[in-house]
Amino acid sequence: MRLAALAVAALLLAGCGESARRDGPVTVVFKHARMFGDDPVPRLVAAFEARHPGIRVKTEALGSASDEQHQFFVINLEGSLGPGRGPGFDVMMLDVIWVPEFARAGWLLDLTTSLAPGELDGHFPAAAAAARWSGRVWALPWNWNVGLLYYRADLLERHGLAPPATDVELTRAVRLIQGRERDPRLEGFLWQGKQYEGLTVNALESLWASGTDLLGPDGRVLPDPARAEEALYRLYDLIQRGISPDWVSAADEELSRRAFGDGRAIFLRNWPYAMDLFEGPGSPVRGRVGIAPLPRLRGDVAAPGATGGSLLGVSRASRHPEAAVALARFLASEEAQRVLAGGSVLPTLMALYHDPALLAKRPHMPVLHALSLVARPRPITPAYLMLSTSLQPELSAAVVGVKSPARAVADARRALEYALSGIR
Amino acid sequence: MTARERGERRAALGFVAPAVLTLAALTAGPALWVFWLSLRQRLPVFGIDRFTGLAHYAFLATDPRFWSATRVTVVFTVASVALELLLGLGIALALRGQRVGRRSALALLLLAWALPGVVTARLFEWLYHPAAGLVNVVLGLGLNWLGDPCLALPALVLADVWRTMPFVALFCYARLLTIPPALYEAAAVDGAERLATFRFVTLPLLAPVLLVTLLFRTLDALRAFDLMYVLTGGGPAGMTETLTVYAYRSLFQTLRLGFGSAIGVVVFTLVMLVAAAYVMVLHRQEAAA
Repeated sequence: MRLAALAVAALLLAGCGESARRDGPVTVVFKHARMFGDDPVPRLVAAFEARHPGIRVKTEALGSASDEQHQFFVINLEGSLGPGRGPGFDVMMLDVIWVPEFARAGWLLDLTTSLAPGELDGHFPAAAAAARWSGRVWALPWNWNVGLLYYRADLLERHGLAPPATDVELTRAVRLIQGRERDPRLEGFLWQGKQYEGLTVNALESLWASGTDLLGPDGRVLPDPARAEEALYRLYDLIQRGISPDWVSAADEELSRRAFGDGRAIFLRNWPYAMDLFEGPGSPVRGRVGIAPLPRLRGDVAAPGATGGSLLGVSRASRHPEAAVALARFLASEEAQRVLAGGSVLPTLMALYHDPALLAKRPHMPVLHALSLVARPRPITPAYLMLSTSLQPELSAAVVGVKSPARAVADARRALEYALSGIR
Repeated sequence: MTARERGERRAALGFVAPAVLTLAALTAGPALWVFWLSLRQRLPVFGIDRFTGLAHYAFLATDPRFWSATRVTVVFTVASVALELLLGLGIALALRGQRVGRRSALALLLLAWALPGVVTARLFEWLYHPAAGLVNVVLGLGLNWLGDPCLALPALVLADVWRTMPFVALFCYARLLTIPPALYEAAAVDGAERLATFRFVTLPLLAPVLLVTLLFRTLDALRAFDLMYVLTGGGPAGMTETLTVYAYRSLFQTLRLGFGSAIGVVVFTLVMLVAAAYVMVLHRQEAAA
């Protein structure tokens, strides 16, 4: 009996309590999201260890869902600064929207003085902006994402159409192609309308396209209600007119990506990762997909895509801050980003987008470079998640027509004002 | 009370004390702590921690999202528990009458119940897929199951019924097996028809088990989380957001510890009230028996 109890205890505690050894190499723990396909992280870590004999790196993968990673980090970081405590990891992969929050909470090591002058200059300006908060640098840009429009180049060409620059052109293209193709399974324009972060992103892009923003320069929420209503009405109207199928109200990135990848839609708003899958072996749409900027809502207002991606931060409670910073800087360097870019990840360093060796494998990188330069980040504020989660039900209500755009905007402003009132 | 009785009483208290203390430390302690948190504005990200009294509750009272979540929680609980009870009972009765393949039927029932909630949710994500989902293909429909504000909650109820109906069926089936056949023979001798036998023999004997199952299922359904979290994220338009999903979003996603705790306290109170009502009914039954 006692033996069994001991065995159970040993089983439960296996892997815990690795005490720090006095001498011998320093161990740095790198927590990151699981990478799909051929994971480049082990190779990068091996290269780093070869150059830093005194440092061992332990990598620990988290689930691929952003929500779960965020929850893991906040639970482990909150309270990690007390005496004798530590979060159990040193370097972490951070979603672009978390950096100001983690910096504000005091969980990140200030990297400003650890960097060489101009170390962030080679990155996309939006990526470097996401690394900064309150005038200091808290993280290093690592990989990149930008919202864009995919179109079926073969269908557009067959019907003599150019990629649509505006909603009007997109509508005309959908009507024309659907009418001539006579395929009831061919949908028009897919995007992400499920009640989650992806909907916030799609709605933000719509807000920008109508010439306004979620947060005004003075910090006010939805500063131009009339234009915000126009932005929400646009999403609702796309479904009402049948340009988008009704099920985009339940679609996330993957659901919409698969439908387009199976050849069942003409247009898709998504991130660049989808291109590698469309061009992969066995894909029904291989060689038939083009990339364009998102369609404009008003002729005179640009329609930037939202930026995304991740950065590398160092825990302020790290026991080996120098080793951890060295690892983060190595992983964010051009050498490491080149390895990453050879897989399915996009780099944040602009020079790599015109690198001949990479272009041979990923010919669409120059187009992505151009789109990224005009793209916009989501609001850079420590309260971002609070804003986004308060907003999502209202956005979803407007998309499915449960609320009028005016009601949804009014209710969203009320919910956001209360959420923000707590931190003022 | 004699000295001896007093001594025994003291000894008894001593024996009970470890259990009481453990329960207090593991249940009552955290519950009180959450209540205390709910009276504070605590936002660790912003370094804010101050007493706000009942401010969070006052906001909740006028918060449409909170009332929507309450409505969703209640509708989900009533609908799924009622369906599970009816179907589970029906299946248990059918199983008892079945001669062949009873074991395989039981194994199949257990399979649905043994699947982890998130796996079930992923399974239904594919079943409800708008274009390629089995449900739409088999029914020849093009319904937007998880994206339509009127269909999403029923779709989740169906998924929950599929998953937990076996639990009810197994409980009922186990009880049915222990009803002595003599009772049915006596009923038949008295000329009772099948419906009358069910009404006056089976149902009264089944009632206590049904009530306990009902209690378990209701408390579970009031805390429903995984299906909504995976399948709809609470959408569309918050039509499937239960109180626990709302609490999760506030507590773990945005670290509004005070506000999230206030929602937690409401869920806790709701669950306790329902549990107390069931326990009262159970007591009355025992007293009557």
